[in-house]
Amino acid sequence: MNKVKVNLYASLRGHVGGAPSVEVAVEPGRTAAEVLSGLGVPVEQIRILFINGRAATMSDPLKDGDSVGVFPAIGGG
Amino acid sequence: MAVIYRVNMSDLSVRAEEPQDGRKELGGRGLTSMLVADEVPATCHPLSAENKLVIAPGILTGTGAPCSGRLSAGAKSPLTGTIKESNSGGQGGLALAALGIQAIVLEGKPADRRLYRLVVNADGLRIEPADDLAGLGNYDAVARHFEEYGDKIACLSIGQAGEMQTPAASIAVTDVEGRPTRHCGRGGLGAVMGSKRVKAIVVDPAGGKRTQPADAEAFRAAVKKFADCLKKHPLTGQTLPKYGTNALANVINEAGGYPTRNFSDGRFEGTEPISGERQHDVIVERGGVIAHACHRGCTIKCSRIYMDAKGEYLTKGPEYETIWAHGADCGIDDLDAIARMDRLDDDFGLDTIETGATIAVAMEAGIIPFGDAEAAIGLLKEVGKGTPLGRLVASGAEVLGKAYGVARVPTVKGQSMPAYDPRAIQGIGVTYATSTMGADHTAGYSIAANVLGVGGKVDPLRPEGQLELSRNLQIATATIDATGLCLFVAFAMLDDPAAMEAVCELLGGLYGRKFTADDYLAMGKRILAWERRFNSAAGFGPADDRLPDFFKTEKLAPHGAMFSVPDEELDQLFSFVE
Repeated sequence: MNKVKVNLYASLRGHVGGAPSVEVAVEPGRTAAEVLSGLGVPVEQIRILFINGRAATMSDPLKDGDSVGVFPAIGGG
Repeated sequence: MAVIYRVNMSDLSVRAEEPQDGRKELGGRGLTSMLVADEVPATCHPLSAENKLVIAPGILTGTGAPCSGRLSAGAKSPLTGTIKESNSGGQGGLALAALGIQAIVLEGKPADRRLYRLVVNADGLRIEPADDLAGLGNYDAVARHFEEYGDKIACLSIGQAGEMQTPAASIAVTDVEGRPTRHCGRGGLGAVMGSKRVKAIVVDPAGGKRTQPADAEAFRAAVKKFADCLKKHPLTGQTLPKYGTNALANVINEAGGYPTRNFSDGRFEGTEPISGERQHDVIVERGGVIAHACHRGCTIKCSRIYMDAKGEYLTKGPEYETIWAHGADCGIDDLDAIARMDRLDDDFGLDTIETGATIAVAMEAGIIPFGDAEAAIGLLKEVGKGTPLGRLVASGAEVLGKAYGVARVPTVKGQSMPAYDPRAIQGIGVTYATSTMGADHTAGYSIAANVLGVGGKVDPLRPEGQLELSRNLQIATATIDATGLCLFVAFAMLDDPAAMEAVCELLGGLYGRKFTADDYLAMGKRILAWERRFNSAAGFGPADDRLPDFFKTEKLAPHGAMFSVPDEELDQLFSFVE
């Protein structure tokens, strides 16, 4: 099993009981989309996705030790 | 009928001028840059009588268009030596526009060391002695004027920093509650105001009226269309009102571009306690305000009011840039301490970006340790005391860095970089290097496509595509800065063609003729051309359109990133200017 850390931000935290971060065990080859919907995060609300600090897409596969960051539409100054 | 007030501080005379043909349709940055480029000798000393401070509401300010209350100030900058435009939220723009004032131009400088204030109302503009205001922070100075003139006024003012004429001094503008929390922050325009010995400009809009568009029906339809677009876009409609500008902290940190401890790391381990999410919770818990408008008519409402641990008013926001500069850049993870520093910056009248960056350089110099919030507050308080060290803190990172022998100073054209490391986000690096304003983020906000997925996607870690991204944004932003619209409307404009159309229809309705996307871009190009010409005459050349070398050679964790857009490409950014 791979261990993946998922960091959730802003309004997305509400879907995991307010936790900023969860560690999940995932089967090898699972995509970001599969892992996130498995956590109960509605994927259509995700506007920005990072894997290990780099822009990624929902169909990218995750590997052991990956860190995933997900945001809704975010902007600021 | 629009009027430009020429305020001659050498002989204390005031002249009301009707704008000449070429200037009638200008406003904001368009008007300030045109006047400064035309009338200020590019080689003058910024604190001399030859410099001029132009204060101008935007083209749409006062028309009732959503989010259109911004006020521009322009001059030759004491910080950068370039032309400078710096704009602010708050009520100042609206108050001036209500009186039909297209600009106030401060010229000359008094022979004596007395202080003055300007009182502006429906009867005109007069200059009054104001030595009793000397040495006051902005909060006290402004409170006196609200007491004297009532609470419908707006007040522009300088604090101790502006009076000392230090290069990081800001011009404060009062907000909806009458507090000096919004600023023309960047580039030391408060020092120019101080050099002309003007402590405050009190504007009483009573008896004024809304600007009437030439085609009222078309304008009204455009207002509705624009308001709908802003409401619909998730950033302007939801995220910004809820979390404010500091929603960005976690994104930029996650992306590995959150400058930490004087740009030595791209991630800060203390981001969570100073994040937009935490700030939201603290504000709500303590009975502060979120979804707050800094000026009447703003529908985005990104500002907020921050209470201290006792539930008493402390400061606004603070904003993303301020929290970064006094937080991650200094290794400080204490939001309350940062808020106290924001309050001090607003009171002394300092650019919060420049000041936080300066404290970080002071930490690199070993004056105080990284991460020591109380020591940082103590250092900042020196400004209010007017000590030599305080003057250095109020002079920006480059000056303090030179005084203390620091080699790693993150500036371009003398202005400190804002809250994005150009190695991890190369598009903003191009803007920092090339902008006529010095290292500036709003001038061409590449973050939108580099990180936020707004207006396209350009990989932030690679050099490809960054030049075009920055160039297009710099052009479009120059126009927005002229309209008086808050830059945040750009998020909607970049994603939604209807929003871009609506802005053109607003301008068209105001002018009474068709205003196209081409006209929009042409205005931005014209403004940048004036600014480039001024900078060139002031002695700036390609060597000044560069980042400090260490950004090209020192790797930034976590990505091991370096800025790699070639110099030859940077020299092409302004190829559209003949």
